[in-house]
Amino acid sequence: MKKGWFQNKNGQGDTEQKNATQTLAKSKDFTKTCYYNQKTNIDFCLTYLTTLVDEKIIEQSILSSLLAGDFHSINDIKKIMPLYDVQICNDPSKIEENLCSGYVLLTIETEEKNYGLIAAKKEIVRALSPPEVEISVVGPKEAFVESIATNLNLIRRKLPVKELVIEEFTIGRLSKTKIAILHIEGITNQENINTVRQRLKDIEFDDISDSSYIVQIISDNSNSPFPQLLDTERPDRVAAVLAEGMIAICVDGSPQVLITPTTLVNFFSSFEDYYLNWIIASFFRLLRMFAVTFSILITPLYVAVLTYHYEIIPHDLLSTLITSRRIVPFPPILEAITLELTIELLREAGARLPTKVGQTIGIVGGIVIGTASVEAGLTSNILLILVALAALASFTTPVYKMSNTIRLLRFPFLLFAQLWGLVGIVFCVCIVLTHLIRLTSLGRPFLDPFYPPRWQDLKDSLLMLPFKERSMRPQFLRTENPYRFSKKKASVKKDIDE
Amino acid sequence: MQEQTIPDRLKISPFLIFYVIMAMQIGLGALDYQRIIAKDAGYDAWISIVFAGTCLHIIVWMIYKIAKIVNGDIVTAHMYVAGNLIGKVLSFPFIFYFLLHSLASLRTLFEILQVWIFPTLNLFWFSLGYMLLSMYVVFGGLRTVVGIAFFSLVLPAFLVFTFFPNLLYSNFESLLPIFDHSVKDLIKGSFHMSLPFIGFEVVLFLYPFIKESQKSEKWAHLGLLATTFLYTILAILTFAFFSEGQLQKVMWPTLMMWKIFKLSFVERFEFIGIAFWNLIILPNVCISIWIGSRLVKRIFKIRQKKGVYLLIIAQLGMITFIHTREEINLLNSLMAKVGFAFTMLYIPLLFIAVYIVKKVKKK
Repeated sequence: MKKGWFQNKNGQGDTEQKNATQTLAKSKDFTKTCYYNQKTNIDFCLTYLTTLVDEKIIEQSILSSLLAGDFHSINDIKKIMPLYDVQICNDPSKIEENLCSGYVLLTIETEEKNYGLIAAKKEIVRALSPPEVEISVVGPKEAFVESIATNLNLIRRKLPVKELVIEEFTIGRLSKTKIAILHIEGITNQENINTVRQRLKDIEFDDISDSSYIVQIISDNSNSPFPQLLDTERPDRVAAVLAEGMIAICVDGSPQVLITPTTLVNFFSSFEDYYLNWIIASFFRLLRMFAVTFSILITPLYVAVLTYHYEIIPHDLLSTLITSRRIVPFPPILEAITLELTIELLREAGARLPTKVGQTIGIVGGIVIGTASVEAGLTSNILLILVALAALASFTTPVYKMSNTIRLLRFPFLLFAQLWGLVGIVFCVCIVLTHLIRLTSLGRPFLDPFYPPRWQDLKDSLLMLPFKERSMRPQFLRTENPYRFSKKKASVKKDIDE
Repeated sequence: MQEQTIPDRLKISPFLIFYVIMAMQIGLGALDYQRIIAKDAGYDAWISIVFAGTCLHIIVWMIYKIAKIVNGDIVTAHMYVAGNLIGKVLSFPFIFYFLLHSLASLRTLFEILQVWIFPTLNLFWFSLGYMLLSMYVVFGGLRTVVGIAFFSLVLPAFLVFTFFPNLLYSNFESLLPIFDHSVKDLIKGSFHMSLPFIGFEVVLFLYPFIKESQKSEKWAHLGLLATTFLYTILAILTFAFFSEGQLQKVMWPTLMMWKIFKLSFVERFEFIGIAFWNLIILPNVCISIWIGSRLVKRIFKIRQKKGVYLLIIAQLGMITFIHTREEINLLNSLMAKVGFAFTMLYIPLLFIAVYIVKKVKKK
C-alpha cells in the first residue's frame, strides 16, 4: 500500500491522486484484495468500497470469471465478464469518482496504465407504493420512489415516444446528485429548456438532498411565500404536463418530481380532476377556490367588522354575534390571533408526532381545548366555528406547499384588518395581488390566465371544460406545437336524427 | 425620432389599453359627477355625458394620429415640433399634471374614508402606506401597473349589480321631459364631465409601450365607449332614484345608492364599495406615478426609480396640507380645468402643429 493502491506512477496529478487515495484508505469499508489466476499466471487486484458494492456480483460474476477465465490482460475483461457495465480506461482522475459510486477497480501488476472499472452497485430500492399526499380515488395508484432510474422508467412507460428527451447531469459538490431534465421535443419551448438547464448548472450548493432544495434555489423569486415550481409524486401527472409542454425535473433520492413553468391555478388543481367528468371537476375546482378565499379572509373579516364596522351587519345577526362574545374580555384581534395560533399549534403537533398519537392530539386539542375555551369565556363560539372552518378549508388545497402558504397569508391580513378594517383588508389584497402579478415562473407570468388574460388558458383553470374544448396547449408555455389535436374533426355539428 | 427601442417583453398587449383607459377614467369624480352635472343641465344631463363622450372619441383619434406621425409619445411629439430643448421644456409641466392627478385621486379617496368610515384616520400614515404600495406596484414595471388596472376593473365588477335593486324605488318619469334645457346648459354639463372623463390621454404617454401600437386604437375607443356607457347608465339610475332637489343635497350619490342593497348578512353595501374604492383608485395613482417618473427620466435623463421617489415624496409632502372640504373641492376643480385644457385644447393644437411640421418636413 505504500506506493499507492493503483499502479499508475507516471501521471501528472499523482500527488493529488495519492492524497485522495490516502483519504479513501482511511475508511473502514475500503478494501483491496489481490488474487492470482493459475491458468494464465496473472496477479490482479480488486479495489472497492464494501458498503457500496453487491458482494454477490463480485463473487459470482467478477471473481469467478477472472479466476477461471482466459484472462491475459485488461482488454480481455470485456470478453470474459458476464456484466453489462464494464469499462477499460486509463484516466486516473475517474477512479475516485467511480469507486465512490459503486464500481470495482481491477488492476494488474504488469499493466500500469490501464485498469478496468466494473459496475457492481448494490441497489436498494423501495417498492412502488400508492401516493400518500396526492391521493386519488380514481386513476393509477403508483407513486414515485427515491430511485431516479425507477422514476424515469415510470415516466418513460407512460410516454413511449422518441420525442421524450431525458438529459442527465450531476450537481452538488458533496452529494453528487443525479438530475434529469425531461421534455418532449417539438412541443416544449426551447427557451424554457435552456433556462432550466442553465439554472440547474449554476447551482453551487454542495449538498442537494431533495428536490425541494432545487425548488428553493432555482425559483424566480425565492423571497416569495408562494411556491413557483410544482412538485408531484404522481407519474401520470408528470406525463400529462409533459404532453402540455412543461418541463419535468427528476432528482435522484427524491420521490417528488418538479414541474415548471407553473401558474397559480396549477396549485389548485388536483390531478384527480382530470379523471372526473368536467362538470363535477369544475364544481370541485370552484369549491376549492371558494375555500381558499374563505380560509384567508374569514377571520380578518370577523376582526374588521367587530372592531370597526358594526353597522355593516344586519340587526338580527349582530345580536347573535354580540351575545356570543358578550363575556369575552379580549378585543377581537387578540381573540382571533390566539385561536389561529392554537389551530396552527395543533397542526404542527399533529405533523411532528407519530400518526396514531397525532390523531389523538388532534381530537383532544380540537374538542377539549375548543369547548373549554368557549365555556371559560375566553373566546366566542362563532369565532371558534370560523377558525375551524378556515383551517378545514385551507386543507382542501391539493398541493401541500400551497396550503402552507395560505395558512401563513392569514396573519398579515389579520394585522391589516385590525389596522384599517375593511379598507385594510382590501389594502392587503392589493399587496398580494401586486406580488402575484410581479411573480414569474421561469419568466412566464404566474397569474396566467387571469393576467395577462388568456381566454384559451381559462378553459382549464377555474373551470375545466370538456376534452373537446381543450384542443390547445397552454398559451403561456409558448409551445412549439400549440395544438393537441385538430379541432375541425372533433366538431362536426349534427342535426336531429342524422 | 425614436430615442430608445423598448424590448418586447416590457410591452403590453394592445387590448389591455381598454382596461388602462377605463381604470384611469373611473376614479376621480365618479362618485359625485351626477350632482355636479345636474346643477347646470338638470335631468337632461345624461345627454351631456353622451355628448362629452362623443367629443372625446375625436380626441382619441387625434392622439393616435399624433403618435403615429411622430412614432412615439408626447415628448417625442414635442421634440418633433419644437426641437430637442424646447420639446423637453414643453413636456416638463406634464410631470405636475400627473402629480396633480394622483394627488387629487388620493385625497378624494381619503376624504370619503374619513367621512364614511374612519373620522380619525391619520392622513399621513395612511398616505405613507398607500405610497409604499404604489411604489411596489410601479417598481414592477408597466406590466404590473397595467395588471393592477386590469384587476381594479375586474374584481369590483360585481358591484355594478348591486345598483339594480334601486330600480324598485326608481321613477324614470322624472327624466321627462327630455330636452328641457338649453344647448348652453347641456354644454356646461359636458364641461363638468371633464373630471370623471379625463384619464384616456395616458395613451399619448404609453404609446411606445404598446405592442403593435396602432392596433390598440380600436381598444382605446371601446374603452372610452364603455366608460361613457357606464356613466350614462349610472346617471340615469341616479336621476330616477333621487329627486332633482334632493340630488343637490347628496354629497356622493353613487355611495348613497349602495345603501339600498341588502343581504341577510350584509346591510350596508357602501362599506364594501368604499373598501373596494381603494383598489379602484390604486391604478389612478400608479399609472400617474409611472408616467410622471417616466417623464422625469426622459427629460432629465436620470433613473426612473429616482423619479418615483421624487414624486412620492412630493405627494406625501403636499397631501398633509389639504384638510378642508373647500381645499379638496378646489383641488378637484383645478384638476378638472387643467384636464379639460389639456385634452380639449392642447391636444388639438398639438395635432395641428404636428400636422404642419409633417407637411413642412416633407418639402
